[in-house]
Amino acid sequence: MASDDDKSATIPVDRERCVTGIEGLDNILNGGIPRGNTILFTGSCGTGKTTLSLEFLVHGAIAGENCLFVSVTETSDKLMNNVIPYDFFDESLIKKGTLVFVDMPVIYERLGMTEMELSLEDVDSIVKAIGNLVDELKIKRLVLDSVTSVCYRLKTEEKIREFILKIGKTLSDRGCTSMLISEISPSAERYSLYGVEEAIADGIVLMGNLERRGDLLRTLQVVKMRGTNHSRAKYVLDLTPAGILLVPLLKGGSGGGTT
Amino acid sequence: MPDTVSFGIPALDKAIMNGIPKGYTILCIGPPGAGVELFAKRFASASSGEENVTYFSTSERDEDVIKTMEDFGWNTDLKIVNIGTMYYEKVLAKHLEVSKYRLEGLTMRDIRQYKLQGKQEDDTNHNFLTTLTYEISKLDPPFRIVLDSMNFFLEYYNHKEVLSALRTIKAHTQHNGGVALVTLVKGVLDSHIESGIEEIVDAIIELERLRDGFEFKRNLLIRKVRNHPEKTGILAYTIDEKGISAKSVG
Repeated sequence: MASDDDKSATIPVDRERCVTGIEGLDNILNGGIPRGNTILFTGSCGTGKTTLSLEFLVHGAIAGENCLFVSVTETSDKLMNNVIPYDFFDESLIKKGTLVFVDMPVIYERLGMTEMELSLEDVDSIVKAIGNLVDELKIKRLVLDSVTSVCYRLKTEEKIREFILKIGKTLSDRGCTSMLISEISPSAERYSLYGVEEAIADGIVLMGNLERRGDLLRTLQVVKMRGTNHSRAKYVLDLTPAGILLVPLLKGGSGGGTT
Repeated sequence: MPDTVSFGIPALDKAIMNGIPKGYTILCIGPPGAGVELFAKRFASASSGEENVTYFSTSERDEDVIKTMEDFGWNTDLKIVNIGTMYYEKVLAKHLEVSKYRLEGLTMRDIRQYKLQGKQEDDTNHNFLTTLTYEISKLDPPFRIVLDSMNFFLEYYNHKEVLSALRTIKAHTQHNGGVALVTLVKGVLDSHIESGIEEIVDAIIELERLRDGFEFKRNLLIRKVRNHPEKTGILAYTIDEKGISAKSVG
């Protein structure tokens, strides 16, 4: 805790917050994500990254903020089916255009990116295109799922660095609070596949699986968050029809968790 | 039924085998300005009337092909498959669109529009070489094929694939007793690619244009007639408003 105290002394506490609407997460972050931050949500598959990011957008849309989900790997039609079961989801959000889904392959196609490996010029075009959409739709919250899939086509560290820096700047200049979803293998000792993303992001939230008493628990831990004081403890994450619930690991673990 | 068909230039017919033997694939090669494209059109117009003529154009519009043939008073009873136009519509127009999106930016409308279009057609990787061989495979004999020019395909596809397509065309032509003429601009490609093409075809006609004082002297070199090396030789040819004529020299 000493390190957290040190940080709070140097960080101004008056930054406007983007309330995620996920109660446990807002508590961990002392009120929400500092607005304009670009956060890396990282974890192996099945840890709830996409679900959490969708919930973040749905709550934003309910609060009247325009939200954009840029999907790289899954089609948006399929993703939409995932949000429909939630109690708090309202289909009119999509009809009104408050919650918008865009498939990244369409952007690639429109910009003529047929080669597997993208160039630095392509990076600029992608960032510009996303910036255009954020401007046009007045987007306040954005999710890119996943940044790893984009990086896979960038190949070199130089281009990945360029992409993350530029997308982060483009989004924060527009006051857009963003979640970049990052895939890592369960055994990875770092927070992102390429190691570059984590150094550049304003915040890192680590999501994982933890086996305890024969049960596989989902966990969430805020590792870094510029612009706010936050807990660095590990929490147990529970996906319910009412949304994501977070409880501190010790209590959640001893109670048997999600059964 | 005669075993040969006419090229449309009597002296040339006579010099080869009193006509083009059925089943032959001919290469017409020459530098820009020698009249290779015009030879292709003359050949296309010289069908007996029973032959199905298909003209594959890669660089001229349909109307330009027809207009040129009409200007010379040639028969225009043929089908044009315009690979050049297809290429424009499917590839070049898309390049123009892409440059617009890259420079002017992307809007939600562009994305929604794509989704609507995308479901209708899926031709992102159109292979024109496949289009060519497919169209040829559909032809009923007797047929006459003109491909003007090979350079288009060699520019966009691996030369091995192009040679393989040429072999397919040749085999189909041979098997069905049709005739095919392919054109090639000389000096653009590596000599080994040119040699590869020359090896496949049954006959080679090279057009040559030499400067002689204040005029051009045009020679037609019959460089190869399969199994008939004695038929090789040189003719002089002229192009005027009446068309192409040739005569033996020497």
